[in-house]
Amino acid sequence: MDIDNVNINNNMSTKQSTPKICIIIPAYNESAVIGSVIMSLMNELKILKYLTSIVVVNDSSQDDTSIIARNSGVYVIDHILNSGAGGATATGLSYAEQNGFDIAVTMDADGQHSASDVVKGVEEIIKRGDDLLIGSRLIKKKGMSKAKIIGNKGLSIITYMLFGINSTDSQSGLRVFSRRALESLRWKTSGYEFCSEMLWRAKQLNLQISEYSIETIYTDYSKSKGQNNWNGINIVKNLVKRRIAELMG
Amino acid sequence: MSRYFLLLLLTSPFILLSILSALTKYKLGRSTKKHFVIQVVIWLLIFIGLASAESIYIWLFQHKLTQTEPLSLFDVIQITAIIIVFYVANRSRSKIEILEKRVQDLHQELSIRLSVKK
Repeated sequence: MDIDNVNINNNMSTKQSTPKICIIIPAYNESAVIGSVIMSLMNELKILKYLTSIVVVNDSSQDDTSIIARNSGVYVIDHILNSGAGGATATGLSYAEQNGFDIAVTMDADGQHSASDVVKGVEEIIKRGDDLLIGSRLIKKKGMSKAKIIGNKGLSIITYMLFGINSTDSQSGLRVFSRRALESLRWKTSGYEFCSEMLWRAKQLNLQISEYSIETIYTDYSKSKGQNNWNGINIVKNLVKRRIAELMG
Repeated sequence: MSRYFLLLLLTSPFILLSILSALTKYKLGRSTKKHFVIQVVIWLLIFIGLASAESIYIWLFQHKLTQTEPLSLFDVIQITAIIIVFYVANRSRSKIEILEKRVQDLHQELSIRLSVKK
């Protein structure tokens, strides 16, 4: 893609013609795969003619996640306390905002997201001019077990019932943010329920939300690390609590 | 003094305080209009419920929909305690949330700044 022909959305910084992209990988005890995830991402990012930076937010892991990520040549933010997926994502996005990035992408550290989908997401957000782009695993559903499909669809339905957000995959970790979203989007929950809350906050802020199809790479490792349907019940409980708390002021 | 009036007298200050607190938060820009309206509606409903408790009881009793005894002094104390607990719990939750957000922001900022120094 020719940089000069890139249609930069009004919300992005116009100080420079080349958008700065920050890829954020929140990670907790991912030493087994974090190195390979970073390497595949680095290889894929070579085709992007943008200024890119990879940031691993190590959520106080007890293994060598931080050391391996640092040795891979990426920037690492070490959390002092374990804060959950929502907390680690918020730190990464705050770093991207403070350092003047125009676009930020969050992806899972367990290797379930393809690096090419990250690149596709960046190109899509620039093309569409959206504020928040969700990488949906449930448009194609390829490689996903029935239990995961039911769990994720169930959470998307509950997200719709509680917050009025219509998303095919409300729990997806692959998300692309515009500069406007980086500056305004904040949420209160720190666990996995932040995925749904983030969509709700984006809706409250009138941010433009859309989806694009991504593939899911399910290995034995990512299956063992992913959320199970029991954790889904916990997410629902916390979302209902959040909704009631919000009503109470 | 009627026990129903005593109940209203004991709980009214907490209801008023809650409405005042919601109004202050809204006027200072710490909450949205929607939150303010919801808060006021909740507390007004409690107030209306308590103010019309005697009429509701008489109506229910006359239509044989309840056989319970009229409000006792113990009931007055119990209902007042429930209102106070609700008021305190709501305030505490609100304060804990503010503190939680501050700690989260502090931790986030500290982690980013310490990572720069490495």
